Amino acid sequence: MSEGDESNSDEQGYVYYRDRPNWKDIEPIPQDDGPNPVVQIAYTDKFKDVYDYLRAVIRKGEKTERVLELTMDAIECNPANYTVWHYRREVLQELKKDLKSELEFAEETVLNEPKNYQVWYHRQKLVEWSNDPSRELYLTAEVFKDDSKNYHAWQHRQWTIRTYGLWSNELEFVDGLLKEDFRNNSAWNQRYFVIINTTGYTEEVVKNEVKYVIDFIKVAPNNESAWNYLTGILKGGRISDHEPVLKLIDSLRSQHVPSPFLLSTMIDVYEEEVANGKKESLEKAVKICEELGSKIDPVRKRYWEYTSRRLISAYGPLDST
Amino acid sequence: MSLFNSNSMSEVDAVKEEEEFVVKKHVRYFSRCLDILPTQCQSLDANRMTILFFCLSGLDVLDNLSVIDDQRGSEIIEWIYSQQVLPDQSDESSLSKCGFRGSSFLGVPHDNSKSPVSYPYDCSHIAMTYTALSCLLILGDNLSRINKPAVLTGIKALQQPDGSFCSTVEQSESDMRFVYCACCVSYILNDWSVVDVSLTADYIKKSLAYNFGFGQGPSLESHGGSTYCAVASLVLMNKLESTLTLREIERIKKWCIMRQLTGFQGRPNKPADTCYSFWIGATLEMLGASDWVDKELNVQFILSTEGEYTGGFSKWPKCHPDPLHSYLGLCGLSLTNYSQLKPISAPLNISQRAAEWLQSIRGNF
Repeated sequence: MSEGDESNSDEQGYVYYRDRPNWKDIEPIPQDDGPNPVVQIAYTDKFKDVYDYLRAVIRKGEKTERVLELTMDAIECNPANYTVWHYRREVLQELKKDLKSELEFAEETVLNEPKNYQVWYHRQKLVEWSNDPSRELYLTAEVFKDDSKNYHAWQHRQWTIRTYGLWSNELEFVDGLLKEDFRNNSAWNQRYFVIINTTGYTEEVVKNEVKYVIDFIKVAPNNESAWNYLTGILKGGRISDHEPVLKLIDSLRSQHVPSPFLLSTMIDVYEEEVANGKKESLEKAVKICEELGSKIDPVRKRYWEYTSRRLISAYGPLDST
Repeated sequence: MSLFNSNSMSEVDAVKEEEEFVVKKHVRYFSRCLDILPTQCQSLDANRMTILFFCLSGLDVLDNLSVIDDQRGSEIIEWIYSQQVLPDQSDESSLSKCGFRGSSFLGVPHDNSKSPVSYPYDCSHIAMTYTALSCLLILGDNLSRINKPAVLTGIKALQQPDGSFCSTVEQSESDMRFVYCACCVSYILNDWSVVDVSLTADYIKKSLAYNFGFGQGPSLESHGGSTYCAVASLVLMNKLESTLTLREIERIKKWCIMRQLTGFQGRPNKPADTCYSFWIGATLEMLGASDWVDKELNVQFILSTEGEYTGGFSKWPKCHPDPLHSYLGLCGLSLTNYSQLKPISAPLNISQRAAEWLQSIRGNF
């Protein structure tokens, strides 16, 4: 932490701004944290050097080529400093820079820092300014190669698709991701996003989607994401109106598949039946709750006990009691 | 530590488990961060106020705020107030920049608050305003030096046409995190005049996903963090029951309880992570369903992410602890009524003690 500790300078060949002849005209401004600072950071010498000069040019309002370079160093030291990104955008506008190379810089930074809010926001601004969304689907797909559930990338992808109407190949893309990993909850969410904004969940679409998701559930009955999608697209309607779903449940049940999501959906079906006057389904639902709490899903024992009580108080009493 | 009448195996285990939790180790972790963070934390430079919040609130939940003596306490209060962005009498537009900044990274002089001058690009950040107010409450400050009209004008400037908030007047992404920050600030300052409450509630409702978790915004994937922010915001606005149907609330509770593996995951098919013991645990608490949680498994998971020598908690076992996971891990434990920890206020994410202090001064401003 001591001033001028050269061992802290991380990169060989890096010349401090304070040693650069073309920066001699700038009086650096050190951070003023007062006499009794808290949560100080053990900045490297490079970090202090860069930010001392950045503070000075921002105070002066200088918007030049050399400031673009300085902001790049500042971003490298701390990519989460939102003011630096904002100032850089103002310099880019002031200098009427060609955005192509900036898009490349943002792309590189996105790939190095895929969970950084500021760089994704910067990227969005650049796409807006250049009115060129042509690389965004590719870029987000690149990010998904390392982390197919990266929230920022999905958010950016949805923004791009919605803003520029790039819906046409998205379902195909999602289908590819789901075939790679059907547990990818983000991809299921994206499927919902695409359909609700394009065809909508019409009777016909629901029918096809039910078939689509059932095929995935058959392969992995313990995949919560697929079950959530199934029940999600049926909301507003009744599960028991969908013959293929009832067949799926029967088939998995007859194989004694120990899936809490299967059993939970069975409870939903029984509840629909009870609400429709089929009194004997209440006892079946309560039995399933017991099975879940004691054997299949004991971590949620208390939730299943609660569900059982909720059903009895809503539709009970049980005939047998 | 509690005494037991009998000596069944599970109780012996419980005693052993509690003995393994060494309060002092965690007190040292937060005390250390309060003084200085290592070089790897340089990317937190603009957000130091949030780190201060984790440290102070962590010490509070550990019932060890006393390690900060009176003098240090007032020094910290001075530092916090020095980060208040105040209106410049000669610059009317400066009002919308008001609130708190995260640190002095722009080189604004420490004593600028004495006769405030507005500096170019100096503006508040909504998460810093929220955590600064929380820090002051934790330290027992009565908020008398807060320029309330200015802070509120700063918040008002950040609300977007869709009801969400962005973080600074220089524009940023807008999402549920910043909705929550705006609600905390309004609640703490006891003034909802600048937030369009029904528009905010509308944004939250539209962010309820098909599987009954909340995303960061409409059509985005539901997530533990945004679900907490959404539900806590509704609770703070007193709009939970008027925004959501009983059936929706039941489904949200179910989505939350389904997140428990041993600890909690943030999304389906993701691994457990310490911070969700708070985000999801606190949501269940607000919805009156915290007794559904398998506390034993949850506690075991959180303790498995404890920094063995350093104190603190990390997101996963055998990782490096960081201030956020350390604080939220403690809060996750507190929500299980862990014996050595103070109870917390789930919607405000501070100790009950600090929340009670807020109630006692809330009528005064």
